[in-house]
Amino acid sequence: MTPERWQQISRIFKSAILLDNEARAAYVDSQCGRDDSLRVEVEKLIDSHGKANADRFMNGVAAEAAAPLLTDDKIARHELLIKGQQFGSYIILDSLGSGGMGEVYLARDTRLDRTVALKVLSPDISQDNRRMQRFRQEAKVASSLNQPNILTVFEFGEADGLTFIAAEFIDGETLREHLRGKRLGLGEIVEISIQVLAALDAAHEARIVHRDIKPENVMLRRRDHVVKVLDFGLAKVTEHKHSTVEHDSDPEAITEFRTAPGIIMGTINYMSPEQAQAHKIDERTDIWSTGVMMYEMITGKMPFSGSTTSHTIVQILEKDPVPLTRLVKAPADFERIVMKAIAKKPGERYQTAKDMLGDLRSLQKRVEIDSELKQTSPLITRTQGDLGRHKKRVLVFALVGMLLVTAAIFAVNIWRSSRRNASSPVATPAVAPVERTLTYWITVQKFKDDKPYHDQFTLAGEINFEAEYRIRVNVRSPQPGYLYILNEGPASGQPEYNVVFPTPTANNGASLVPASAVVLIPKKSWLRFDTQQGVEKLWLVFSEDGLAELEPVKQFASVETSGLITDPALNRSIKNFLDTHSATKPGVEKGETLTTLKATGKLLIYAIKLEHH
Amino acid sequence: MPKTPPQHEITQLLAQWREGNQSALDDLYPLVYDELHRLARRYMSRERKGHTLQTTALIHEAYVRLVDQKNVLWANRSHFFAISAQIMRRILIDHARRHQYAKRGGGARQVSLEEAATVVPDQSEELLRLDEALKSLAEMDPRRSQVVELRYFGGLNNEEIAGVLHISENTVTRDWNMARAWLYQQLTGSGAN
Repeated sequence: MTPERWQQISRIFKSAILLDNEARAAYVDSQCGRDDSLRVEVEKLIDSHGKANADRFMNGVAAEAAAPLLTDDKIARHELLIKGQQFGSYIILDSLGSGGMGEVYLARDTRLDRTVALKVLSPDISQDNRRMQRFRQEAKVASSLNQPNILTVFEFGEADGLTFIAAEFIDGETLREHLRGKRLGLGEIVEISIQVLAALDAAHEARIVHRDIKPENVMLRRRDHVVKVLDFGLAKVTEHKHSTVEHDSDPEAITEFRTAPGIIMGTINYMSPEQAQAHKIDERTDIWSTGVMMYEMITGKMPFSGSTTSHTIVQILEKDPVPLTRLVKAPADFERIVMKAIAKKPGERYQTAKDMLGDLRSLQKRVEIDSELKQTSPLITRTQGDLGRHKKRVLVFALVGMLLVTAAIFAVNIWRSSRRNASSPVATPAVAPVERTLTYWITVQKFKDDKPYHDQFTLAGEINFEAEYRIRVNVRSPQPGYLYILNEGPASGQPEYNVVFPTPTANNGASLVPASAVVLIPKKSWLRFDTQQGVEKLWLVFSEDGLAELEPVKQFASVETSGLITDPALNRSIKNFLDTHSATKPGVEKGETLTTLKATGKLLIYAIKLEHH
Repeated sequence: MPKTPPQHEITQLLAQWREGNQSALDDLYPLVYDELHRLARRYMSRERKGHTLQTTALIHEAYVRLVDQKNVLWANRSHFFAISAQIMRRILIDHARRHQYAKRGGGARQVSLEEAATVVPDQSEELLRLDEALKSLAEMDPRRSQVVELRYFGGLNNEEIAGVLHISENTVTRDWNMARAWLYQQLTGSGAN
């Protein structure tokens, strides 16, 4: 069916279904005229509409209907391949990890007797064009480049009905991992940069621009410290190329890039000005990104970085970075090379990776000589030999190389951990003032005849409580801390509190809540208030330290008594405590769906007021 | 339990995606997929007895866990819901495919036919067909297919869908009626052409 035809049908359909049978027939008649096939289509659809209603077709949500699929562990944990299994010409040695989208195995290629990393796609992935396209592109580009600093893809194929990719198995870590929490020596930085540029030089020779050079895409092999550039998933062939293997597919890529000028590719912090503006890009964009990476390696800071994407882009386009020699001790030559690589105008940068490589190699020679002369500037003390000082890493790390080949495609935890700090520059955080932060939101479920009625909804804060409402309070803090929640009913003489948290079922009865944990109160059922009208207060007390005044409430936490505190002395001392400390009110930021409370100091106290009528 | 990636990272990726950076979506996708998948499985194992999976509650929880609430914009939230609906669809389809694959006797750990059949009576088959039909619909009419995705897979109500797609609620209702009738026709073969 053509989209035009579809629109035509839909126009008639949407009015027709609002009419009763008689009027409908006349209306359809008048709209379709002599176009009988149109009439048939419309009538079929109207008929289906009626039947779909009668059948309650798609009345719920998919997850409801398909829920058993999710919990069927036999299937959920169903591994595609097992250890020792023959798979095509490979023998599976070990499972390296898995994610929602596929699995990675260590395998032996029996034909060539070599160990490879084998990524096997879930049977469903091959159906997903977007993911498959990037995957195929990666395999194609990487296998067309034969250079020791580029991860080798051996095979892209199919066996037993499963699509797989076999690649060089790299036992090592990404540069991002390697940079974590430490500064590298000048010698090592120069060496890594040289190898990255050697990879780029080979790619550029083949007119391939990587477009996504960043520490996540640079892998260091443990055994010999060889650098491997990964992830050619975004790579494109440049326009003014000659005869390369990419010739066929490339014009498409360029068209795509040109016709969609708004689409920016790559990671923002390493993006060149021309990339950030979605202008035409060429090899010099990789030079830029390498320069940014070198700056980061030596200073531990990003040369261009803002609090938001837009701020970062402004920095990239307009601001000069802080001269790196102001941040660290580094040879002037090194600074000159980096600054030339990150010149705003492509014409002022190194024009080729080869040129930059040349400058770095001469610098490397001088560094080596300097080091032999035992010139011991702190930055120059570590030279090439230090490359060997890699952390011991489990075998699993080898996976990273493989995963990054297909980084966009596979959700594997190990991969994820390798890029956890991807967007944060390596820097020591400033000492923050003591502050307590707590976020809360309220889930409301309407009940009718003691049964849930309608869907749940969430609220950021205070509500006018209706009799049939039952609620759940959700609390979360980025900080760990001691949490106490007490309910105070509409005032009537003696203070009386109910313990809402901690309870034996929530957090195992402990008041200490780990950072970022979402505490659901109650966990499964609902809070329900008695029929007495007025304002219910839910006191949230969140403290860095355990509170001697409130710890005793735990003994009253019981489902049977709704946590009612029956000890008058304790109730009085709680009131006293709350009165004293609630004088200082926390800052309240009310969002669309949640409320964030912020207090200075170690203690945060806030009363959520729930009115009910 | 897998570690949750830092919130600022997800928040930033959402912002980048909203600003048109498509590769941010590639980075975002697996992170959200993992989280939703984990939550869905946890919810289901916890509330097995007759409870249904509250998709919106689930996505909301994922949102709260993954996104830095301080720096979040409403637009990010809509985007998050949109991507989550897409991912819920993907999760269910992935499972359905695996189920089918297991049924066919593929893979190493075979589930016997009887076993598989009793566990999931044909849900997977139907889901896969719906997914296929929805793909065909997307080719003719991307918006209507998105309405179905948001409502059926994302569990969003009409008002939320209207917000995500910047259309009126009436349009959502109309789109849904049309799309559903067409899908019904495709799946039951009642109007196969």
